[in-house]
Amino acid sequence: MKELFFIFFSLYTIAAALGVVLAKNPVYSAFSLILSFFGLSALYVMWGATFIGMIQILVYTGAIVVLFVFVVMLLDLGSVVTDHSHSWLTVMVSAIAVWFFSLLMLRTFNHTPLVAPATPLAESNTRLISQLLFTEYLWPFEILSIFLLALIIAIYALTRPDAADKRKVHP
Amino acid sequence: MTGLEWIILLSKLLVIYLTIVHVVPIMIWVERKGAALIQDRPGPNRVGPFGLLQPVADALKFLVKEDPIPNSVNRVLYAMGPFMTLVPASLIVAVLPVGDFFEVQGKSYFMQIADINVGLLYLLSISSLGIYGILFGGWASNNKYSLMGAMRSASQIISYEIPLGLAAVGAVTVYGTFSLREMALGQEGTFLAVLPRWGVFMQPIGFLVFFISAFAETNRLPFDLPETEGELVAGFHTEYGSMKFATYFMAEYMNMATISGLMTTLYFGGWHLPYLTDATLLGWLGGQRNLLAVLQFLIFFFQSCCLPAHFRLGALDGAAFPL
Amino acid sequence: MEAFLPVLVLLAISLGLCVGIFGVSTLLNPRNLPPVATKLNPYECGVKPEGGARQPFHSQFYLIAVLFLLFDVEGVFFFPWALVYRESLASGGALLLAIAVYMGLLTLGLVYIFRKDCLEIM
Repeated sequence: MKELFFIFFSLYTIAAALGVVLAKNPVYSAFSLILSFFGLSALYVMWGATFIGMIQILVYTGAIVVLFVFVVMLLDLGSVVTDHSHSWLTVMVSAIAVWFFSLLMLRTFNHTPLVAPATPLAESNTRLISQLLFTEYLWPFEILSIFLLALIIAIYALTRPDAADKRKVHP
Repeated sequence: MTGLEWIILLSKLLVIYLTIVHVVPIMIWVERKGAALIQDRPGPNRVGPFGLLQPVADALKFLVKEDPIPNSVNRVLYAMGPFMTLVPASLIVAVLPVGDFFEVQGKSYFMQIADINVGLLYLLSISSLGIYGILFGGWASNNKYSLMGAMRSASQIISYEIPLGLAAVGAVTVYGTFSLREMALGQEGTFLAVLPRWGVFMQPIGFLVFFISAFAETNRLPFDLPETEGELVAGFHTEYGSMKFATYFMAEYMNMATISGLMTTLYFGGWHLPYLTDATLLGWLGGQRNLLAVLQFLIFFFQSCCLPAHFRLGALDGAAFPL
Repeated sequence: MEAFLPVLVLLAISLGLCVGIFGVSTLLNPRNLPPVATKLNPYECGVKPEGGARQPFHSQFYLIAVLFLLFDVEGVFFFPWALVYRESLASGGALLLAIAVYMGLLTLGLVYIFRKDCLEIM
């Protein structure tokens, strides 16, 4: 039963990811990305990582793809971006990628069963994460806040909505 | 899962989900009649006694009217936009605890569709998906005003998601769990022997923050910039007609209902009637009480629809982050 | 994971509802109506529509989205803290200090944004 679900969600995620790459319009790609993240989140939940599954939707689908969508929508790229011809270079690179990927798959399937028996967790997944986070990984947690602070400053420096812009908008 | 469990699941699901769906027409009527009362005018009074059949008339009208699809829209996303708001609005219903447990053949089942361990996180993440319907719908309409309205609405919603999440975090610190059922259970009994142990008394500031953010999340006045009638025609749903328009509205009202439900669960004791402690008796009454509390909130939503003026966009976003 | 099964069922039912709404409205809509230009053009308060729909946009939107992302990630780390906070109070306030440092640093970021007027309207 669990295997059926796994196969279904995996195929769904792969199909959505293919949709991202193959779609003509960038907005369709963004939409496919949202769908593929759902599939990913379902897979995470199936393996017991419920916290990560929910955070995947909250942060990735709810924030990062919003960024993508903002840019893609407002820049009206249309299908100009996706017009390209298939040169020999493209074919060669894709062949190498497929070869690496199939090697990886062969290794994985030779060593692990399709669905591993799930050992039930001692406590809920979130509680385990929080216990670890504040004991062993406390320093990385604090350093992370500094990192986020640096990102905030960086994003201001990058977009820089300064007085010159505002004078244009409010004459 | 056995057959009995499937039957119970499906019946729970249908009852709770369809209740929320059918609350929408009631809300439409309450809004129009209530606004009319506040504004000293009759409101709908032609269709049925007190205009009670007005939502039915509206629904029929929406179904039968023509759905004009302008030439320059992106057909696929245009058609999907409204449903992209409806699906997350429906999924949120899964984690709201409606009542206490009931016993069938010795096993007790809870009146909640899905008792997820991380219920609150699930709820926050699914509600953050609501903006995609607005964004894609507004973009697909290929209309300057729709796009502008969609962008403004999206930036408003995402700005207020953070205070919403952090206020919910406050509730989590009090109850020590993400599961909504446990949170509702934790509000039994009294606090200081006088007040019921509700979240609103344990976390008043959190409640205020959550309350304000909830208004912003559902695009309700005083935060209804996406629908400002004075400024942007009709915002992101300018180009939508008949049933797709109605679906957007249905999704918005369902969002309101579910956020009210969340508010009662987090801050108003869920299904617990104040000062009573007998569990099984409350199972049934509690469900009714929950619904009443939800409706009470909705009425509050509507009143505030008529009274205050709405904010400017910048003031809005500027207020969100400190909040 | 078993707890999520009802969610899948609810998803199926709500998708069914969407398809139902779409189907019923398609069936009941009047067909063969003459295509009138005013219906089919984008709507601009009755004025003839001009200019493309997608104009150069204010970078403000992007800034708000990125800031939302950063503060959202900050919020994500609040969730595990909230879960164990109550219990850790019994064993001393170490967790409070940890989160105070975390929140303090990010409040600095907020103050920075405010001082730099990033959240002004566009």
